[in-house]
Amino acid sequence: MKKYGKLLYLGIIVLFLYLPIFTLMVLSFNKGKSMSAWQGTSLKWYIEMFRNEEIINALGNTLTIALWASILATIVGLLACIGMNAMRDKSRSFFMGINNIPLLNADIVTGISIMMSFMLFGISLNYASVLFAHITFCIPYVILSIMPKFKQLENQTYEAALDLGATPLYAFFHIVLPDLMPGIMAGFLLSFTMSVDDFVITHFTRGAGINTLSTLIYSQLKIGVRPTLYALSTVIFVLVLVFLIFINIASGKGESKISAKSASKEDYDYKGSSPFKKFAIIFGILVVIVFAIKFTPTVPGKVTEKGVVYVYNFGDYIDPEVVADFEEETGYSVVTDYFDTNEEMYPVIKNSSARYDVVCASDYMIDKMIKENLLAKIDFRYIPNIVNLQENIRHFTESFDKDMSYAVPHTWGTYGILYNTKMIKEVPIGWSDLWAEKNKGTIIMPNSIREAYMIGAKMLGYSINTVNEGELKEITELLRKQKPLVYAYGNDNARDLMIGNSAALGVVTSGEVLYAMDENPDLNFIVPKEGTEVWTDMWAITSRAKNKEGAEAWINYMLSEKAARKNFEYLTYGIPNKKIKDLTDNPILNPSDEVLSRCETLKSLGSKGDDLYSKYWKDFKS
Amino acid sequence: MALIELINLSKSYDGEKVLDEFDLSIKENEFITLLGPSGCGKTTTLRILGGFTKPDTGRVLFQGEDITQLSPNKRQINTVFQKYALFPHMNIAENIAFGMKISGKTQSYINDKIKYALKLVNLSGFEKRSVDSLSGGQQQRIAIARAIVNEPRVLLLDEPLGALDLKLRQEMQYELIRLKNELGITFLYVTHDQEEALTMSDKVVVMNKGYIQQMGTPEQIYNEPENAFVADFIGDSNIVDGIMMEDRVVKIFDHIFPCIDEGFGKKKPVDVVIRPEDIIIGKVGEGIMDGEITSNVFIGVHHEMCIEAGGFEWVAQNTKSYPVGTKVSIDVLPENIQIMNKPQSEDEEAISLEEVLGEENIGEDNE
Ligand SMILES: Nc1ncnc2c1ncn2[C@@H]1O[C@H](COP(=O)(O)OP(=O)(O)OP(=O)(O)O)[C@@H](O)[C@H]1O
Ligand SMILES: [Mg+2]
Repeated sequence: MKKYGKLLYLGIIVLFLYLPIFTLMVLSFNKGKSMSAWQGTSLKWYIEMFRNEEIINALGNTLTIALWASILATIVGLLACIGMNAMRDKSRSFFMGINNIPLLNADIVTGISIMMSFMLFGISLNYASVLFAHITFCIPYVILSIMPKFKQLENQTYEAALDLGATPLYAFFHIVLPDLMPGIMAGFLLSFTMSVDDFVITHFTRGAGINTLSTLIYSQLKIGVRPTLYALSTVIFVLVLVFLIFINIASGKGESKISAKSASKEDYDYKGSSPFKKFAIIFGILVVIVFAIKFTPTVPGKVTEKGVVYVYNFGDYIDPEVVADFEEETGYSVVTDYFDTNEEMYPVIKNSSARYDVVCASDYMIDKMIKENLLAKIDFRYIPNIVNLQENIRHFTESFDKDMSYAVPHTWGTYGILYNTKMIKEVPIGWSDLWAEKNKGTIIMPNSIREAYMIGAKMLGYSINTVNEGELKEITELLRKQKPLVYAYGNDNARDLMIGNSAALGVVTSGEVLYAMDENPDLNFIVPKEGTEVWTDMWAITSRAKNKEGAEAWINYMLSEKAARKNFEYLTYGIPNKKIKDLTDNPILNPSDEVLSRCETLKSLGSKGDDLYSKYWKDFKS
Repeated sequence: MALIELINLSKSYDGEKVLDEFDLSIKENEFITLLGPSGCGKTTTLRILGGFTKPDTGRVLFQGEDITQLSPNKRQINTVFQKYALFPHMNIAENIAFGMKISGKTQSYINDKIKYALKLVNLSGFEKRSVDSLSGGQQQRIAIARAIVNEPRVLLLDEPLGALDLKLRQEMQYELIRLKNELGITFLYVTHDQEEALTMSDKVVVMNKGYIQQMGTPEQIYNEPENAFVADFIGDSNIVDGIMMEDRVVKIFDHIFPCIDEGFGKKKPVDVVIRPEDIIIGKVGEGIMDGEITSNVFIGVHHEMCIEAGGFEWVAQNTKSYPVGTKVSIDVLPENIQIMNKPQSEDEEAISLEEVLGEENIGEDNE
């Protein structure tokens, strides 16, 4: 009985530890994109991963940065420890205190402060700046692992070595260092993993075109993580597993070899003793793995004759093939970086901590950036493909970008209601259905200020950009009344909850509809009769662009039929291109003029307006 | 000429004087033992000689040359550390080979030496063992082996036999003395075991609180302790107050004892030392004082008995046993009574010490 209990306990622990990674591994072989439904076995995500230069580059960056950072941090940390060891007790504990403070600091504080110091001293952000930042945050960990080893030594063996005639240097390398080796190794490996894991500090200190795995994965959250990353995680997991097995085998062998050797030759040679050997083996394997993945450290953007275009885009927001086509057809080379939200992108452009030529941003953010002179006027002489742009979208961009001089739409869509035909009897027709008592407990509302208030405003017939306090109060009241009916307030997960039949009505953008309908054929979508928000994500050129011609070529290419077709097939978001009407001519992606006439775009509200919205939103949420 | 001279060494830690104007000279092939209670500065003296600690003032001379500032690796001195200080990542053979490798000995020489040294310390066949797998006593012996294979001019040993059992300790004592005689190494030995000090040494230095209390041959130290501290520290003693009536006569507890000491003046209060084995037990009335046996313990060859006489508990040793309660008398031969000046204060103690040292130096010159 007791035995079964033990087994059960063990089983549960193993399950907890390994079920998640196992799930991920299984999903990486799924043919479809779904996180829940099995659509057949395939290696397609693995192939896509190895073809995807971005992933391979990010992996390479992650590993080389981790390797260099941990090597350098270990050396610097070790030297610091030697110095501190020679100090008197008081000053040593003082310096240990100083060493420990950065450990307690939040990563975000460390990241921002390192970034600000770089900018203060006019050091541009690039690969080296990330490396430098990583070295900085790794050093305290190294010191923390080595210092206790020093305390254990108590100088006894060092003095004994001197006594036997060793010079201080010889004694250090042959006696002290081997004793410190476990600490050094721990510090080194700790640094390596800390560096590989780090997202926040990397995010703030990287320059254009430098991605590590963590920043790359994070930037893809907007669209949803593609299964290529499952494949990547699986590969990494297997690599680590192989690495650990190797270490165990190799270090075991190494030790037995030493004793065999000295036994046969009666040779009391201590140079190959085990602490060094073990470290050398681990280190060697690590280096081989790193450089196997990354043959040469990539210098971002191989400079071609026409130069490099630096693109800053939402993660996974264009078909990577389009980039390759663009490079081939125009002769520019492209370096792309990714962000997850407009708010994340904005400070990067504003501080120009990294210089991008062309950037993708949502309508209200374009509005804000135009007002702050962060964007350059586009010279449409170089954008002949502008004729492909659907005319009906101009009406919406005009409200913040008159005559379309700063930004050109990339994607567009509306907010509407995704509903499950099997779960409700009557097809919804407008927002008011979300307030109907019969739908209680089956509604998913957006969990973001502007979208929620947009819905309320349209219900009451107000502008979605209203800053009238009375109107806002009314909207808040309306939203509050709806609360008991709502199943969940969600953003990214609304689509997945609908696919999983967890709710019957959900507010989503039209871009997600085709994917959702694919996954769950019971779903359908309407654009509410009261009107709704039309959003556009647009390409714009930054005012500090170094390669404006390249940026314009990029925008022009995005408007080409070929690019639009590929992007649409990749994203299934609405793309306002006349030439692909054959694919997009349906009421979901292209609502009728009558519906569009009741729609508006979000505009920047100004700080006063923002404050007002936040105030009422907080009020509502409480 | 002296091989090593420590001249006027002083050392303080955190304002606490650990060594105070310490002088010592060591002759070639001499076996000198520093003896004293824990914390009296023995290790500190060795560390200064080994070069690991710099004295605040004073000099260290080696063959007349000042080596006070010389680093440890350049001194022809090896140390057996109190805490062994073996190299944990090397096996036993590698540990012993360390010094010889550095001085560039050939591999075959090294291998022979390792064998020889391990045999000497009774650990033959331990070459491949790791340091961790050895007991404390075994580690201590490896530390000795590691030091002696280098055949240094001077060997400093800091309580090198402290972790050994009695039998092994006696064996090792014998081996060390043989080593000294064979190799002509000069030994500076630290112990707080007085028996060890007395059996092994040519010269014993008794220390307390950073001062030398007495320096001399084991016989001198044992038989003629110069002050109460030495007498108390070396062996069991009866230390009692007495009054020097005149030369060769001392009064103890109102009884007159004949003795052989002179020159203390008349009616002078003194300390009197009488060793337990020197107390002669007789029938009531036969000795100088009468008393009663209050305890009796068998301690091997002897019986150790306490005798209450004149208001003092005398410790006496005798092969003959007297049961508790027996009325006895006690007597002491005049030459077994040791008379010492009473120290009035610590300063005076130090001054009298310097006088003693002065006398000793003169004595040596005369030899
Ligand atoms: N590095 C140091 N820092 C501070 N005090 C010290 C230091 N080394 C020794 N001392 C002090 O100096 C005094 C003498 O120490 P030392 O080690 O010489 O004693 P010892 O005679 O060898 O004693 P033991 O028989 O216990 O080994 C002690 O009070 C000790 O606390
Ligand atoms: Mg000591």
